[in-house]
Amino acid sequence: MNAAAQPVVTPLLSVTPATIDQVDWADKHYLVVDDFVGVRQLLRESLRSLGAKNIDQASSGGEAMGLLARIRYDVVLCDYNLGDGKNGQQVLEEARVRNLVNPSTVWLMVSAEKSVESVMGAAEHQPDAYLIKPITEGVLLTRLNRVWHRKQVFRMIDQACAEKDYLRAARLCDEQIAIDKVHELELLRMKAKLMEKSGQPTRAREVYERVLEQREYQWARAGLAKIRLANGEFEQARQAFQGVIAENRYYIDAYDQLALSFQNMGKLEEAGAILERAAKLSPNSVTRQRNLGKLALKLGNMAMAEKAFRKCIAIGEYSIMKTPDAYLGLARVCGQKNDPKEALRLLLVAQREFAHDHPDIQLRTKITEGLVYHESGDYRRARKAGDDLEAMLKATLERPDVPTCLELATLLFAVGVKEAAIELLRYVIRNNHDNPLLLEEVQNIFDKARMPEEGVAMIRASKKEAADLMNQGVLLWKTGKLGEAVAWMRDARKAVPNNQRILFNAAQIMVSCLQQQGYDAALASEAYEILHHVDHLLPGQQRFAQLMEQLTQLQPAADGAGMSAVA
Amino acid sequence: MDDTPNAHELFLFLASTAHDMKNSISVLSGTLERLLVAQSPDTSSKVEPAYTQMAHMLYQTKRLNDNLMQLLALYKQVGKPEYPFDVQPLELGQLVDQVVSMERVLLQSRGIQLELDCDPRLIWHFDEDLIVGVLSHAINNAVHYTCNRVRLAIREQDGWLELRVEDNGPGYPPALLKAGEIATRETAGGVNFLTNSAGLGLYFSSEVAKMHRHRGRHGTLRLENGGKYGGGCFILRLP
Repeated sequence: MNAAAQPVVTPLLSVTPATIDQVDWADKHYLVVDDFVGVRQLLRESLRSLGAKNIDQASSGGEAMGLLARIRYDVVLCDYNLGDGKNGQQVLEEARVRNLVNPSTVWLMVSAEKSVESVMGAAEHQPDAYLIKPITEGVLLTRLNRVWHRKQVFRMIDQACAEKDYLRAARLCDEQIAIDKVHELELLRMKAKLMEKSGQPTRAREVYERVLEQREYQWARAGLAKIRLANGEFEQARQAFQGVIAENRYYIDAYDQLALSFQNMGKLEEAGAILERAAKLSPNSVTRQRNLGKLALKLGNMAMAEKAFRKCIAIGEYSIMKTPDAYLGLARVCGQKNDPKEALRLLLVAQREFAHDHPDIQLRTKITEGLVYHESGDYRRARKAGDDLEAMLKATLERPDVPTCLELATLLFAVGVKEAAIELLRYVIRNNHDNPLLLEEVQNIFDKARMPEEGVAMIRASKKEAADLMNQGVLLWKTGKLGEAVAWMRDARKAVPNNQRILFNAAQIMVSCLQQQGYDAALASEAYEILHHVDHLLPGQQRFAQLMEQLTQLQPAADGAGMSAVA
Repeated sequence: MDDTPNAHELFLFLASTAHDMKNSISVLSGTLERLLVAQSPDTSSKVEPAYTQMAHMLYQTKRLNDNLMQLLALYKQVGKPEYPFDVQPLELGQLVDQVVSMERVLLQSRGIQLELDCDPRLIWHFDEDLIVGVLSHAINNAVHYTCNRVRLAIREQDGWLELRVEDNGPGYPPALLKAGEIATRETAGGVNFLTNSAGLGLYFSSEVAKMHRHRGRHGTLRLENGGKYGGGCFILRLP
């Protein structure tokens, strides 16, 4: 064959029509992360032929973090496999959590083959695109341009999300869906998520059904199943999630949700088996290993719990997503295996590792210490831990989250520190007076402590206290005494800082005060603070979304930040 | 996948070796492309034999990469639910751009003209990485059979997307057409890898085609002679 003698004809470089807003990739600042020097050089050459001048390189996750901490990059090309230390996903997670990258930064994850992670689609921190080696200049340019245009489309929506104004974000999605065929499905997916976050599953369901009319997308099927799960239709949810897995064995999120469905049906064994399968398919998720460990502990499967907690600690070593739970769980396992010495060692490690980011670590390790002693039959030391805990509770008004409170109260009863236990449960009821499931749980704790009547009486009194606080504020509001109502709710909030009903009503009263008496920046920011606090306590409530939207609409347009008009 | 610890370790070992091989091939083909672009002769001067040899090296490297990619995909059980299959809507312009950019230097260095015929604004749903892989493999193959022209034509027809890679060579030999028939047969297990070096690519491509399903239909693959130039035609149809 003598092909080379033929005249050389350059084929079309691009069939994509040049759009007016072509991106200038020459001026951007790039970071290339790969442990293989040859690949770094190759990528650098490719970037240079796009005109790039500012290209930094890192050969490991640690080195990349060092650079990211100092320099704001426009584009990051990061290999998923980086040898020992952090992997690409962990670098991405840490960069996002520590705010080392801008929302506009393009993050491309590179791997040698199609990765499981790239189709899970549910990970909290996703790169803008996954690229498979070998990467040629043209592929790089195509993907960079695509991601850039996508970011333009989603810029305003992402901003509204960041401000937690989910309803505004959803409206922006609708406007875009009408004109943008290319991103239609992605926008629909976003809108469905926003509807879920705003506590409107019915509207989310409509969106998923609209997608499925077009094509069989497993994320839409999983979305419908999630709504069933939230509605308490556990059996239907189970079937739907299993259907998703049958279609795509790597849709890992469906496993986590399926396990949750089983758990809600009281089928812990099945839930554990599913999580174990998911952990096998995608073993590098700190969260999944942690959930598996906790579930195994509940099941009394110490071998499985130990394995999961150890794996969780091992992968967490380089991950910003790590939490003390695996250490505390593993300490419990050691206690059950009659090795309290190793348990205490783990608790010390946890105290050292998490002292900075987890202010409640002292309390939590002390609770675990008490449980370990109690479960291994050392009642004297368990009682000592109970006394320490009582002293710690007295020293501060801060209380841990509800599950920790319940665990702590149970322990305190078990070791005979009754007063502190009752006081703690009183706090729980006052802050959750309208949550019947929780009231039942608290009553159960009293029953187990052989104090059923005390429980009934305490719950009734605390419930009434909280209800009175709220009703008085609402009465003032309804009778038009707005100023007094705001002041009353402010005090109520001090008395019961984590009561969602009271917090929502406080925000509601402040919003109507702003509506009727004109905008006041201090009052608005107080309302925002309250709403963010409720959202932190329990995300995804409809009232949160509605009040956030009302508040943002009240904001005077002068500063332009809140009500940026749609282009 | 097997559940024994040994199988798992073997898998990790294979995965990291494959990762390494991919890196080497990336560097090899990237460097060759760069050298070829730097050395590309203008139309008046005579083509150096070294240039022709380098062009052939690039062709072989592409084959190596295709084979590795296909083996990896088969190891990951392409065609089965075990494969991380990922369908997304995509404009055809984006698809064609990537295929062209992967093949540009090879085609240029072999003096082959690529003709494109598609509506870049048309949106279709498919696994981008797999289809880019299938199309660039088909073009690499066409490089072997063509005289000097390859045509990539994509169009929508009766609810199907038809993607054709045609060349102006003498057409596929009967043995290859036969292999194509076997590899794309409905019933599984039709490939004879031992007697057919082209078997792997065909088998891979037809598995990829079958994975794409919509409303009870699935994608198909066909080899024939004819088309616009009367040479070999590689025809992928996606629902």
